[in-house]
Formats: sequence, C-alpha cells, structure tokens
Amino acid sequence: MQDTRKPLGINWIGLGTIVRREVSRMMRVPIQAFIAPWISALLFIFIFGYVVGGRMPAIGGRPYIQFVLPGVLMLNIVNASFLQSSSAIYFSRFLRFIEETLVSPMSYVEMIAGSLAVVVVRSTVTAIGIMVIGLAFGATAISSVPAFLFWVVAVSAIFGLLGIVIGLWSKSFEQLNVLTVFFITPLSMVGGVFNTITMLPGWLRWLAYGNPFFYFINGIRHSMIGYSEVPQGLGYGLTVVALVVMFLWVLRLYSKGYGLRE
Amino acid sequence: MIPALKISHLRKVYRRGNVAVDDLSLTVNEGDFFGFLGPNGAGKSTTIHCMTGIAEPTGGTIEIFGVDAVKNYREARRLVGLCPQEFNVDPFATPRQIVDWMGGYFGMSAAQRKARIDHLMERFELGPHEKKPFRELSGGLKRRVVLARALVNDPKLLILDEPTAGVDVELRRILWRYLQEINADGRTILLTSHYLEEVERLCRDIAIVNKGRIVRQGTKDEIAGGTPGGLEEAYLAVTGSAAEHVAGQ
Repeated sequence: MQDTRKPLGINWIGLGTIVRREVSRMMRVPIQAFIAPWISALLFIFIFGYVVGGRMPAIGGRPYIQFVLPGVLMLNIVNASFLQSSSAIYFSRFLRFIEETLVSPMSYVEMIAGSLAVVVVRSTVTAIGIMVIGLAFGATAISSVPAFLFWVVAVSAIFGLLGIVIGLWSKSFEQLNVLTVFFITPLSMVGGVFNTITMLPGWLRWLAYGNPFFYFINGIRHSMIGYSEVPQGLGYGLTVVALVVMFLWVLRLYSKGYGLRE
Repeated sequence: MIPALKISHLRKVYRRGNVAVDDLSLTVNEGDFFGFLGPNGAGKSTTIHCMTGIAEPTGGTIEIFGVDAVKNYREARRLVGLCPQEFNVDPFATPRQIVDWMGGYFGMSAAQRKARIDHLMERFELGPHEKKPFRELSGGLKRRVVLARALVNDPKLLILDEPTAGVDVELRRILWRYLQEINADGRTILLTSHYLEEVERLCRDIAIVNKGRIVRQGTKDEIAGGTPGGLEEAYLAVTGSAAEHVAGQ
C-alpha cells in the first residue's frame, strides 16, 4: 500500500503533506497570516516612508522611502517566519496531532524541512504583498535578484528554526510570546529599519554592530537598493553560520525528542 | 517465524522518576488478535507509546516483525497503524483531510490515498461527514475517523488503544466485525480495552499488565478457563483492582 519510491532517500510525499497541512491551517486565518502584516507594512511605509520620509534627506543617493522599505520587509519576514513555525509546532503539541508525524516513517530532517518549507511559503507571500505595496509608492527596487532571494529564504529559515525551538520549549501561550516581545521586536526595531548606523549616537553604534538583525536588514537593503553599511561578506558569513547552527540545534532537539516525545 | 511484536525487558521512567513500565517482556505472533489488559495507569498506553515513537523507552528493546522500533524506527513505523486512546487530531480538519494527511506521511501516492480513503470512508460510513470539521462530529464518528486514520497505510500490525471507549453498541459491533475481517486477512491486532467481554469475544491471546509488569499471559482459555467467573474473575484476581475496574467500565 505504501509508496516506496523515495528519490534521494527522501519521503517527498510526506514532506509535501506537511506543507499541504500547514498551508491549509494558514488559509483558515488569512487575516492573521497575511492581511495584518500587509496593513502594518502599508502604515509603516506611508507614515515613515512617505509622510515623514518626504522631509528626510536622501540616504546613499536614494529617497528615504526606498531606504525604509527593505527594513519593513525584513521586519515582516522575521515575524511571519517565527510566528508560522512556533505556532504550528506549539499547537500540534498542545492538541497532540504532532503524534501523527511521530508514528509515521518520516525522518526528523523531513519533518524539519517540511516545517521550513511552509515558513518560506508564508514569508515569501508576505514579502510579495509588501513589494506590491512598495510599488504603489514607487519604492520597490531590486538590484540583485539572487541576493534578494538569499536574504528572504535564509532569514526565513533562521527564524523558522528559532520558532521551532520556542514551539518545542513553550508550555503555555504566554511562553510562546516571550521571544517576540523581549527579543525579536526590540532588536529588529533598533536593527536599522528606519535609520543608518551613523544616525545613532557613538556610544550606541557598537550595540548595532552586535545586533544580528542589523546584518539581515543591511543585507536585504543592499540587494534592493545597493546601499550597505558593512562589507557584504560579513553579513553572508554570519547568516550562513547562524543557519547551520540553528539547523543542527533543531535536529538535535528532534533526535532527543525534546518537547515531542514523552 | 518472526513474531509481529517482540518486547524484551522494556522499561520506561518518566522525567519525574515515575516508573511506568518495568522489565516488561511480551511476544505477539503474526496473525494474532492479542488482548493487552490492565487497570488504569498500569502501563498499557506507555508501552504502546514506546512501540510507536510517542515515548522514548528508557531501556529494553522492541522489535516489530524483526525490525528494531528505536534504532530502525522508520522501517518499523511502516508496519504499524495506531488508533490511540485520545483524539490526537487537528480539530479543524475534516475526516478526509485527517486520513489523507496520514497517508501522505506514509509516502502513499495521491492515487493510492484516494482509493484507500474512499474505501475507508465507505467502510466506516463516514461519507456524509467527510467534509465536516472533526470538532463538529459526535464521539462515535470521531472514533471512526481515528480508526480509519490508523488503517490508511494498511498496517501489518494494528494497535488499538481503547478503540470502543464511548462508542454506542451499534458502532461497536461494526468495529468488531471489521476488526475480525482484517484479522482473518492476516493482520495482527493488539487491543487494549476495559470492556472484558470485547476482549473475550475478539482476542485469542491475552496479557495482563499491572504496575508496569506483565502479571499473567497466555491464551484466552488458559487465563479465563480455569476460573469460575471467567476472564473478569481472572483479571481481578491478578490485578487486585476491583474498584478501579468497575470505575473503568
């Protein structure tokens, strides 16, 4: 009865089933998944990019609204990725339907890859919507498509993996929000969404360089408008290292059954 | 002949030190209809969870048709279908989605899934309800859905943890007939139930577990035959839990 064809030894049908299941779950809450971040992005772009930005000098030869858009985009990619995976894992644990995958012949890598594929789908759809909003304001530009895709996919995966860790760790809805409230929102806001490093007071700049969100925002901004405040290699390197470390961490948690098995 | 299930010296200790299963050994032959009995908290569900990957065994080995269920878990899982005691499903999903997704996890192609799901929906009379959210179904219908889900991959070993709890007499009899049919087709079935008449009617071999250990094992006749009160008396004699058993019913 079971299909034993598994190109590259991967259960592609199982992996695709995780994606189908989560997309179905996502489509039950389209306002929460897509409309809310699009409206939020629209307001940010309109207020900070258009109204306030109209009175700001150009940055790197680009209008301020073009400087702000990549930051707003990255802010929403991070949130969409983290919320998708953390809520998917937490709810499947809370309602125990995660046991469906545990009793199936799926490998841990397939389970993680399935979750991350959904994360990339959600953040990409969110990003496309924001790019369309940006177009309406004449703010959307892409200077390097491969670099842009790298930043969308890599950052989605990093925060998707972080969301899995929090989804496995949380024992209540309150804990599910801890990282967003105390880490993701503050660090992303001060990571250069609205300002350059040189706009910060001198004593605060070192903090910006130590903020991983700065490299993500700077990276996607460079791929869109060609403006960067640090060497690009540094951002790519840190991002790839973060991605590998996060993946290995999540794989270990799955292998040990942390938060999954009794 | 390789047994369908061979558990050797299984031990499961939960994080807080609670010993749920202690040195439990059990063999179920291929084609058997095996009753796994015991009072609440005896270790039945924990044993099942260790067999199916929901719990991590602390010690011992579990082999399913000769395949190590821990070291070679992917191969072992292919052979098993689990109908759990609790409804561990996405309550907003429909019965067809729930069964379809399970088939997908097992790597079944879309055509295979459709044929199998159509059969199961018809067999369990779920057709009129297949597009309703699971949470809107009655208890009996929910039970049918999780049973259909357990059968989607046509498992060689079917594990049923209290499959008829909260089910009306009519459905219970439908389930019994179906289980007898698939057992006659060669499927091995391991059944836990608090309904001893159900076990007496369906099972050929029985093991009784108490406080994490097997306290009695044999054929139905060996266990129930020597006691005037049949299986119930034999059960109460070895578990010493008359009050709990009555409450369970």
